[in-house]
This record gives sequence, structure tokens and C-alpha cells, in this order.
Amino acid sequence: MNHALRRVSLICLVLFVLLLVNVNYVQGFEASSLANEPGNGRTFSAQFQFQRGSIVTADDKIIAYSKMNKAFSEYQRYYPAGKVYAPVTGYDSLFSQTGIELAENKELSGSDPALAVHNLIDLITGKPKKGATVQLTVNSVAQQAAYQALKAQGKQAGVVALNPRTGAVLAAASYPSFDPNLLATLDGTKLNKNDKRLLADPNQPLLNRALNVTFPPGSSFKVVTSSTEFTDTSATPSTEVYAPTQLKLPGVSQPLINFDGEACGDGSGRVPLITAFTQSCNTVFGNLGLQLGGHKLQRQANLFGFNKPNLTIPLPVAQSNFPLYTDPAQAAGGAIGQESDTVTPLQEAMVASAIANRGTLMKPYMVDKVTAPDLTTLSTTNATVLSHPVSATVADQVKQMMISVTQSPDGTAHLSAGLQASGGIVIAAKTGTAQNGTNNSGLDDAVFTCFAPASNPEIAVGVVVKGGGQGADAAAPIAVAIIRSYLAALGKS
Amino acid sequence: MSVIASPSDQPVGGGQAAAAPDGQPGGAPMPHGRRRTELLMLAFVVVVVIFAYANVGLGLNGKIPAGVFEYGIAFAVLVGAAHLAVRWLAPWADPLLLPLAALLNGLGIVMIYRLQESGRDGNAGFVITTMSTRTTAFQVAYSAAGIAAFVAVLAFVRQPRTLQRYTYTLGAVGLVLLALPAVLPASISEVPGTFAKIQISLGGFTVQPEEFAKLCLAVFFAGYLVAKRDVLALAGRRVLGIDLPRARDLGPVLIAWGVSLVVLIFEGDIGTSALFFGLFVVMMYIATQRSSWLIIGFLLFVFGAFVAGELFAHVRDRFLVWVHPFSYVHTIGFQTVQGLYGLGFGGVLGRGLGQGQPYLTPLVQSDFIITAFGEELGLTGLMALLLLYGLMVQRGLRAAIAVRDPFSKLLAGGLAFVVALQVFVIVGGATRLIPLTGITTPFLSQGGSSLISSWMLIALLMRISDTARRPAPQPIQDEGMTQVVRAG
Repeated sequence: MNHALRRVSLICLVLFVLLLVNVNYVQGFEASSLANEPGNGRTFSAQFQFQRGSIVTADDKIIAYSKMNKAFSEYQRYYPAGKVYAPVTGYDSLFSQTGIELAENKELSGSDPALAVHNLIDLITGKPKKGATVQLTVNSVAQQAAYQALKAQGKQAGVVALNPRTGAVLAAASYPSFDPNLLATLDGTKLNKNDKRLLADPNQPLLNRALNVTFPPGSSFKVVTSSTEFTDTSATPSTEVYAPTQLKLPGVSQPLINFDGEACGDGSGRVPLITAFTQSCNTVFGNLGLQLGGHKLQRQANLFGFNKPNLTIPLPVAQSNFPLYTDPAQAAGGAIGQESDTVTPLQEAMVASAIANRGTLMKPYMVDKVTAPDLTTLSTTNATVLSHPVSATVADQVKQMMISVTQSPDGTAHLSAGLQASGGIVIAAKTGTAQNGTNNSGLDDAVFTCFAPASNPEIAVGVVVKGGGQGADAAAPIAVAIIRSYLAALGKS
Repeated sequence: MSVIASPSDQPVGGGQAAAAPDGQPGGAPMPHGRRRTELLMLAFVVVVVIFAYANVGLGLNGKIPAGVFEYGIAFAVLVGAAHLAVRWLAPWADPLLLPLAALLNGLGIVMIYRLQESGRDGNAGFVITTMSTRTTAFQVAYSAAGIAAFVAVLAFVRQPRTLQRYTYTLGAVGLVLLALPAVLPASISEVPGTFAKIQISLGGFTVQPEEFAKLCLAVFFAGYLVAKRDVLALAGRRVLGIDLPRARDLGPVLIAWGVSLVVLIFEGDIGTSALFFGLFVVMMYIATQRSSWLIIGFLLFVFGAFVAGELFAHVRDRFLVWVHPFSYVHTIGFQTVQGLYGLGFGGVLGRGLGQGQPYLTPLVQSDFIITAFGEELGLTGLMALLLLYGLMVQRGLRAAIAVRDPFSKLLAGGLAFVVALQVFVIVGGATRLIPLTGITTPFLSQGGSSLISSWMLIALLMRISDTARRPAPQPIQDEGMTQVVRAG
């Protein structure tokens, strides 16, 4: 029987080898994919056992940090200026994360492969594990100005400011906002209560209106329509164009009219394009839309960043839409930012920044660099080009018209963003007043897209105020406040 | 892992051993019984277990738990008693088996203490509702009972062959124990929250008879197969290089298969069914030396499992979870997935005792205790535990090979294999190597029946190894005259 017994020993050996190989696979190889499995409660709560990295602004203001909470013996997240930065930082709660906390979780939590060596050294030297610091491109002066301006305005609104040369996000504010500290509590019951209250709030403070909510662009879309016109035809700002007081649209009984049914220019029926842009004549741009057609408009819009799903900066951004209008009447409406056009405030800022950067659209980004606990730099974001929506010539032509909007006495933003309002800074801008609701019965959304200083652009801003009325009245002052504060901080005004 | 590096122990030859008094009660130490090695290793085991116990407290709340010395002394006294009993009752027994069993048992108590303490007294995590504050105390009591049973088996079974006399008695007892929960009402026999009717629960006291049925049936199989092995080994036809048995000799294997299927169907317990069938087939193979039994047995089991999977939802569920655990993460796959998360969370080095979150896995103190070890001691600790089991099996098989008497050989081989198979079925199930079947992890899982029967199994293996290594009686070499006895 010994022969059989030896065989049985071999069988037992095989059984144990199988077990050993399998546990090596599960605990050695599969461990990281198991850790990233959604709903793995262990990974999540382990994050509170060590100090998570801080989030700091471009000018080194700490906007999120972890500190030991003695009552729970766990690290709790603190947000010193919570509401101001909520759309940027997001929150790090017991159950979920949003914003930079989510997008840069690997770096902040120290689980990024780039930190493996640091972690190993810490393990050997007995130092507690610590996450990496994430430095944002967000400028605290611009961000504060943005939030304060939104708050003073008091309506649901979002604003994004970009550095047009790099695409760096200088500010991203949303109103009404929420205090992430409410969700960072380690007390589960309290967290649940706060979470429920925020979710039930009719003002929806958890919504990130800077990046994740879209609004109709209204007349601000005329920047895109003008770009299409200059690119696809030989027109220039001084080209005289058809400018009726009412524009008949094919297949639609109601004609297209200007704001409050006013005439465009001197009422002669023909105006230079720059005048139509300055006064924001719907009939002129509706007519351009008829002539250009949906395809050309959509092609141009796509180059400016419309219809782009999955844009991450690294926060995910809602898609701005410019659908393909095959019906001429719809193309006319689309050309003036009505119909099914939608934009995020970021998209508005991207359009302005492409014009400001002489036709080159930089990819927006929010994380400047990631620094290990020992202050070595782990990664730096380099500015990258997203697209070339227009040529430098076309960009300069559009810019000329945008300057006219604030500088010309008949410009729609002359009062709100002219030299007087801006403290001497020349702002290039376009206003938008988007009609809303069934039969346009809702309050108009106020939109403003701009950059400054016009001669050497440092900042591009996109603002949308829901139900704000005219773009010039509600949205422009917010952009002006950000521009003034930011340029003052740069020492350039 | 000093246990691995133990000195080799060759079966002793007669000449040297002759000088030693043979197994006298309280006699001088046996130079080649290796009892001193055993004692040293047991001392090491006690130290490891006390350190682990202290570690749990330090991991949970930074304090060494109260009663570390009392518990340490109690544990030392228990294993010391077992050691003394071995010196007295089985002085030539394998020196590794007792330390291995003691270490596994001690670590099991430590882990059960750790799980019991989670969420209590301000510790991290939440309270495991299926455990009370007295669970650890019970487990310690069961360990004492287990060691008592160990000593009792050594005391009553002085020769392994004495068991052969009770072949059919034990066979009948085994079958009754196995079948009892199936015929009892579910309120008494069903494990709460499962489909498994595998226990007898009366007055708050629960016994899992299958644990003892396992031992009885192993003895029965050994006795039966030793008697019938010549008949079973008779050559039938040879097909594709495999000796097929005669059709009428298939009877016993079919009966065993039938019983295991009955267990499967009426008790809903796939693991136990696999265990008994595997035990029988392998003992059949050892007895007849014919590999056709292994193949036939394996095919029959796969076929049976497949049919059961088609017929019974709870068997099919196990297969589904095995193949796609993450698709059922909120329902039938929850436990498996939590176990895997725990293993992954532990990684290579583990979170440290008291510092993982094993309480997230349902029934972590019984079926899934191995994942708690994987989580807190890591891959390193888990592999060490598996090697402890591997070593235990190897020592058992070694005794089987060394012993002369065929009944003992067969019994030791079967018992050693059943440990290997049980570890494979439950550890493989919990780590998703094979579909999960809920059986106990020998020595580690919470519960008395499994612990006591495991200690009895170790006692049987030690009795057989004692027999194998005991030097042959020496002829009396008297200097004096040969006595002549004259008739009448």
C-alpha cells in the first residue's frame, strides 16, 4: 500500500500547492484590482488611517488638509474656505468623494505607483505614511473674487476663469455653494443628516455650476458664429451685412427679432458686421446662420470644444452641445445661441480664451503639480493644445469686435464692462441673454464671455447667471470683479 | 517557523533503543521518542500564541489585553497536559503533530478573541452579531475538551488495531451521525441563515455530528477495505491502460457515492459530501492500489455535482458566485467578495492583528476565518498557516507509510488525506479557487465539534505513529541459564 500512499502524498502536495499559488494570486496580484473595486469598504475606511495630502492653490493657500481627530482616532479632512473652493476641492467623506479629492485620490492618498518608493522608505524607517500634496492652478485672489461676486449677485450661477496662454484654470466658482466640512465629518450619523439636508435643499448647493451644469449660451454664441463667418467667407468686421429689423425664417411663422424688437444699427437694413456684433443683432447673426448652415457652424463649435464628451481637467466636465441643425430655421436659432445650444461656464471661458490666444485653444487643466511628502515633485502638468479653432487673423478680427462691445458707446457691455467699470482695463467681451422656459416665459439667463487685458490677455472668463436677465447687467460685473482682482494681484492694472 | 526546521526523526533501530525503558508510566525521557523536541516546540508555540494575543490588544486599542498571563498560563497548562499524556501514553509518537495542532488551535483562539472584541469597548469596527462576549471563553473550554478527548483517545486506543474490532459498529454509528440532522426537523438541525441541515441544536447547545461521523467512517472504511481489498483489487478489464473493476465490485463505491449525494441533497451540505466521498475514494485507492478508483470517483463526483447544480438553486448559486462573484456582490456573492476584499486588503504583509476589518465579512469566525488571517497576517501569515496544515498532513502520511499493520496504514492515510481535503475545500472555497462550500477550518474555526474531533483525529494519527516508531520488543538476553520447563 506504500506505493499508493506515496501517490496520495503527491495528491496532497498538489492540493496545497494549488492553495498556495491561489492565495499568492489573490493577495499578491489581484490585491490592487480588488482594492479599486467600487464598494470595497475596506479600502475606503483605510484612507482615514493616515494623513492625506493637502490641496493648495497656485499661490500656496491651503484649501484642504487632514488632521487627526482624537475623538475618532482617524484623520479628518478640513476645508478652511469651504464654500469658496467647494466646486474645486469637492469633498472627502466616509462614503464618497468628489472634485479634486476624487480625481487626484491616488496622489492624495499616497496609493499612486509614483509614491511606492516613498511609502517603502517610510515603512522601513517607521515614519507614518502620508499622501502627496496637490498644487492647483487656481489663484486664491481670483477664486475669492469669483465667489464673492457670485454671492453678492445672489442667483444660481457659475463662473470659470482661464489663463488663455496655458489653459490653467484660475478660478471655478459656483453659487449657491456648500461647506465640504459638513460632509468631511467622521461621525456617520451626522454625515447622513448633513448629506440628506444638502440633497433636499431646493437651491441644489451640491451642483457644480462652473463645470457640470449647462445653460443656453444666448448671444455669446455669436463669437462662434462670427468665427465661422470669417473663416468660411471673405467677410471682415467692416463688411456690410443684411440687417433687417425682422428676419423671416423658412417654415416658421414667427419672424426672428432683435432684443425688444429694436432695429439693428441705423435701421437702413445693412450694417457693418462689427456694429451688428456690438449691438448683438439677432437678425444679422440669424441670417448668417441661414447662409452658413448647420454643418459649418457645428464644425466651428466642435473646434471650440463643443460636443466633446469626457473632457476632464481632471474634474469631469459636462458636455456643451451644439447639435447638427439641418433645418435652416433651427440653424438660424442655433447661430444666436438658442435652440438646443448648451454651454458650461467653462465652455464660455474656453471660447474667449481661444480668441485671446490668437486662435489656439489650450486644454483647460486644474492641477499644476503633485509633490511628495519630502517635497520632491512627482508630476507637473504641461500646457497642451486642445485645438486651433480659428486662424490668428480671424481671432484678431473677432477680438476687434469683442473690444467694441465694451468700448463702443452702443456696445451691449459698454456700461457694465467699459473702461469706467473696469478701472481702465480694456476688456474684450460678448454678452448673452438666453431666453428660457416654455415660449420664453422664464427669466432670461445672463451670459458673459470675455478676456482682458485686450492687448495682452492674462485672463479669460465665462459667466452664466441663471435667471439673471440681461448678460450685461447680471453676468458682466462678476467677470469684471474677477478680472480687476486678478490683474491687481498680478500687478498689471 | 521553527517547526519546519525540526530535526529529522528516523524510525529508531532496535539496538540503541533497547537501553531505554519502554513506555513506563512516568519513566525516564526517551532518547529517541523525541519528546524533548516536542516540549521545546510546544514552549515556542505557547510563546507565539501569547505574543499574538498581546498583539491583538495592542492592535485594537494600544493596550496589552487583560489576563494575558492568566490565559497564557492556562494555554501552557493545557498543552503541557497534552504533552505529559503523550509521554505517558504514546512516548514514541511523532513529535511534530502535537505542536502543530496546538499552534493552530492557539492561533484560532487568538483570532476568535480578536473578532469577538471588534466594535466592543470602543474598538474599531462593529460587533459581529453572531458572536457574544463569551465566545472566546467557550472556544477555550472547547479546546480543553478537545485536549481531554485527545488524551482519552490515546488512553483507550492503546493499539490502533483494537479499533478494527468495531469496524461495523463504528460504521453504523457514523452513518447514523451523518444522517441524523437530515431526519430531524429543520428547527433543530438547520444552521440559521443557510440551507444546511448539519447540526443538532438543543437547549442552546449545538453539535455538528458530521465532525464525529468523519472519524467513525474513516475507521469503518479502513476496516471494511482491509477485509475486502483483495476482492476489490481483482483485475477486471483493462481499458486505455486503466484497470476497470468488475461491475459487481462497484457496489461499495456506488453506495458511498449515494450516501454522499443523500447528504448533499437532504442536508444541503456540498462540502461535507465532497469530504466523505473523497475520503472513501482515496482509501479505496490506497487499499487496492488501483488508480481507476480515483478516476471513477472523480468522474462520479463531478457528475453528481453537475446534476445537483442543475437541480438545486443553492448549489447553482455557489457555482454562479464562483464564476462571477462581483456580479452578485450585493446578494449571494457578498460573503465571498468581502472575503476577497479582506485578502486583498491584507496584501503581502497583512494589516496586523486587530488592525484589519475582518468583521465586514459575514461568518468570518467560522467558514471564512482563513480570510481573517489573510487580512491581518497577510499572504505571509496565510502561507505559513497552510504550511502548518501541509506539515500535519505530511506527518500523518509518514506515519501511514511507516506503520506495518494494513488497517493502521489505511486509517492513517485516510485521516491525513481528509485533513488535506478539508483544508483544500474550505480554504479553496474562501479564496475562490473552487466554489465555496461551508465546512469548518480544522482547529481554527469557532465551534466545539470541529475542534474536539480534530484533536481526536490527531490522537489517532499519533497513536498510529507511536505504533510505527515503537522499537520492536527485544529478546531477553539473560546471562543465566535457559530455564527448562518440563512437562508433567
